[in-house]
Amino acid sequence: MLSDLYIRLRSLFRRSKVELELDDELRFHQEQQADKYMHAGLSRDAALRQVRLDFGGLAQIKEDCRDARGISILESIGRDLRFAARTLAKAPTFTAIIIITLALGIGANTAIFTLVDAVMLRALPVRDPQQLVVLQWSARDWPRDLSTSSFGDCAFNQHNSARVTSCSLPYPLFKEVQNQTKVLAETMAFVGPSPMSLSGNGAATNVQGELVSGSYFETLGVSPALGRTLVPDDERSGAPAVAVLDYAYWQRAFGGSPAVVGQAIRLNDSAFTIVGIAEPEFTRLTPGKSVDLWVSLSQAPSLGKQWAGRSNPDNWGLVVVGRLQPGVSLAQAQTALNLLFMNATAHAPKQHWETYNPRLDLLPAQQGLRGIRNLYDKPLLLLMAAVGLILLLTCANVAGLTLARAAARQREMAVRLAMGAARRRIIRQLLTESLLLSFLGAVLGALLAPAVVSGLATFFSRNAWSPLQLDLHIDARVLLFTLAAALLTGIGFGIAPAFRGSHISLTSNLKGNTTTAAHHMRTQLFSLGSALVVLQVALSMVVLTGAGLLLRTLENLRRIDAGFDTRNLLIFDVNPQLAGYKDEQIPRLYEVLQRQIAALPGVTSVSYASEALMDGGYSSRDMKIEGRSDKSKVEILTLRVGPDYFPTMRIPLLAGRLFNLTDNTNANRALVNRSFVTKYLAGRNPLGMHFGGDDPQDPQWEIVGVVGDTKFGSPRDDDAPTAFMPLTSGGVSFEIRTAPAPAMLMRAVRNIVSSVDTNLPVLRMRTQSDSIDRLLFNERLVARLLGLFAALGLLLACIGLYGLLSYEVSRRTREIGIRAALGAQRGTIWSMVVRQGILLVALGAIAGCGAAFALTRLLTSLLYSMRPTDPFTYALSSGMLLIFGIFACSLPALRATRVDPTTALRCE
Amino acid sequence: MTPKRIDLPQGTLDLLILRTLSLGPQHGWAISERVQQISDDVLRIQQGSLYPALHRLERQGWIKAKWGASENNRRAKFYELTRTGQKQLETEQDTWEKLTAAVGQVLRAV
Repeated sequence: MLSDLYIRLRSLFRRSKVELELDDELRFHQEQQADKYMHAGLSRDAALRQVRLDFGGLAQIKEDCRDARGISILESIGRDLRFAARTLAKAPTFTAIIIITLALGIGANTAIFTLVDAVMLRALPVRDPQQLVVLQWSARDWPRDLSTSSFGDCAFNQHNSARVTSCSLPYPLFKEVQNQTKVLAETMAFVGPSPMSLSGNGAATNVQGELVSGSYFETLGVSPALGRTLVPDDERSGAPAVAVLDYAYWQRAFGGSPAVVGQAIRLNDSAFTIVGIAEPEFTRLTPGKSVDLWVSLSQAPSLGKQWAGRSNPDNWGLVVVGRLQPGVSLAQAQTALNLLFMNATAHAPKQHWETYNPRLDLLPAQQGLRGIRNLYDKPLLLLMAAVGLILLLTCANVAGLTLARAAARQREMAVRLAMGAARRRIIRQLLTESLLLSFLGAVLGALLAPAVVSGLATFFSRNAWSPLQLDLHIDARVLLFTLAAALLTGIGFGIAPAFRGSHISLTSNLKGNTTTAAHHMRTQLFSLGSALVVLQVALSMVVLTGAGLLLRTLENLRRIDAGFDTRNLLIFDVNPQLAGYKDEQIPRLYEVLQRQIAALPGVTSVSYASEALMDGGYSSRDMKIEGRSDKSKVEILTLRVGPDYFPTMRIPLLAGRLFNLTDNTNANRALVNRSFVTKYLAGRNPLGMHFGGDDPQDPQWEIVGVVGDTKFGSPRDDDAPTAFMPLTSGGVSFEIRTAPAPAMLMRAVRNIVSSVDTNLPVLRMRTQSDSIDRLLFNERLVARLLGLFAALGLLLACIGLYGLLSYEVSRRTREIGIRAALGAQRGTIWSMVVRQGILLVALGAIAGCGAAFALTRLLTSLLYSMRPTDPFTYALSSGMLLIFGIFACSLPALRATRVDPTTALRCE
Repeated sequence: MTPKRIDLPQGTLDLLILRTLSLGPQHGWAISERVQQISDDVLRIQQGSLYPALHRLERQGWIKAKWGASENNRRAKFYELTRTGQKQLETEQDTWEKLTAAVGQVLRAV
């Protein structure tokens, strides 16, 4: 063992001495042998010749000895690297093209992976996140009379799944779970975040506040950066009202001032004291959710958030997260807690839980708290797959270029083989070169990635519904991914040329007869190079088709008839209750706002409604309709509207009349849309009919008019039966119809609102087209990125085609010269080259069509009024490939027509 | 007519080198000459395998190298058996003899 180490170290550090000794040793042997032959009567020359014959390749023996001494690996890698760097430096254009190509391919992968990492993979930034579990129940259906609220922390219910799931639990059950310290060491609950109006720090602002149990920070193991976090005592009824700020929010809104601790603020017009700042590492719990401050659950009533309160056991709204007791398995904890859950549901007679077959499950928090993963995981995986195809395309492209170059280096390889280099040594050398290239590409790609990533982050946050917390930094996992991508790419594109390079015929190459040498390689090289080009074309066809389908879907969705005029519409939300208004003051406020905004120059008309259309949300109620044979309740979408709503939105009146001043709160008059009539009152006169809830206290609404259908929640929704009632209270969305571009009026509208009441925050000011764009975010994200990838793929395929044909033309210079000398027309030569290229493009397009046929099915859920096999899109992308292909072929073809017969024939 | 040469079976080269060196320190050329002589020219060691084998055995610590003067006063690298090499030789020789005896037995019996 010692001798082994000694010899290895000596080989490494005393390299020149060891090499000299090896030379001496072998020379001594040769001399002895030569002496022996001379004794036997050979002349000195003949003896030396015989020795060389006996010995075989000297370099080979030396190499074997080095291997036997165990020098090699480290040292010869170093030597290979130095040599590779020299070789690459000698062909700067080739090297630059390849590095840039690789940087684009690897950089795109790194960027998308950063996104995947941030949204799907990164661990929760809390202490020992693997110990955290989230409680989730499932049932056959939603129990009746159960009031649940969800802030998108957990999985959405799939329409097709057999059971509904939810993480929302009632406060009493949370308290019982908290007592189960045998299985859960610590337990906390939270709900939110929801908007709160914060004053006492300059003008009133809108913040995202989360209501949490006193055990929230302890359970997560999050410490304060300053002051203190919430403690269990804060949850006690009557405890002082305190708030803890998020670190980033503190930096943003308070400039990171330490004096903030102890400062008094008002939240929804109720007094709070800031007691501390959470540590900076704690950026989020649920992926994508941004929280500005935390307050105790016990403060829900003073914040006007009774729905989050603790008093009502039928109010299911808390997400409960616990930390497993060490040594307790998930299954054990689940058994214990399920028992509690079953007991709690058995004692809630109102909901008839027993008929819904409920069950409680524990999920690891990393998996259970999904947040924006609900929205983005599918498109992200899709993009990851697309970008993987691009990497494959990059490999094929670079392999093609390297292959052409390997052909040009046949001489060099032949010389090295003749000198006694082993084939595996040459393969290793060539692989070292390709790995060096791919690592250089990866470094450049990793430098490019942050720019792409920040572009993506902007795109994401500009389109988010609520403030979106997306931590897009490049961490160790991302770098590891890039490294792995580089390694795979290097081997991927290097392996074929390396094996090809090491298998060449010695004699013909050394004789210097390039034509025969090339001819020897021709058949094989041609087919491999062509296959690579076909592969590139096929891959870019797949990405191109995907991008085409998405772009056309987007076009379809944008062209959808919403039922109202979506252009030149400015929207903003206000919630006077947050600013302390009483219900009876609200109508007067809206009247003032409506009048003052309408007076602004450029404003055509103004109205408001309980919700904005095509803005993502909707509300619905189950009601009975008078005179229907079917007595059961049906789902009706409801919208409360202010005066002038229909003219402002440009929704046409089809029958009856619109609201007028007599339709006040107690008149119970309503308008319905066309779908309402066709679906529920077909063939009858709807005017004068009544509908409403089945409770005796529920108002019965009289239909006074019918208006046109509109899309309510999102562009993909079908037209649904909708009822419009006069608005009386609550927060609203103002709708402002403008003559100039709506964005130009934003500042003026804001000024009006704050001149009416400085404490009334303007929430989410946006144009209607912004809202629609936001609804189409996934489609736009995927379409835009796929479009980018498609362009990149097309470019790469063209470079590949161009490279192959250029090589072919230069290899066949002599043949082309002979043809020209024998009288071939330029046109004939041109078409000879182009025909070859077009054949490859056509083959690739056909193969690509097949692959796209199989792969675009993954896009189905994103498409709209379009099938994944849409023939028009396929024709379009094949057409594009063909046009660009001809373009890429024509340059080398042009060069072929310029071949001068005399020069070509003389170049031998 | 030279006698027909036999290619060395896998693994026997180490044994031959160790056995030759058990007679005393030798340089590479002498080792190959000695083996060829003793085997009446039946066994011939290719230089291409001799030197890598010597370097490998040296690394394993079974032989060690020393520079010295050859018979005709040239500088040559002499190899000699180490103590562990001696033990290794004994085990390998033992294995070899058992193997050949067994193989012979089978061949004769059938």
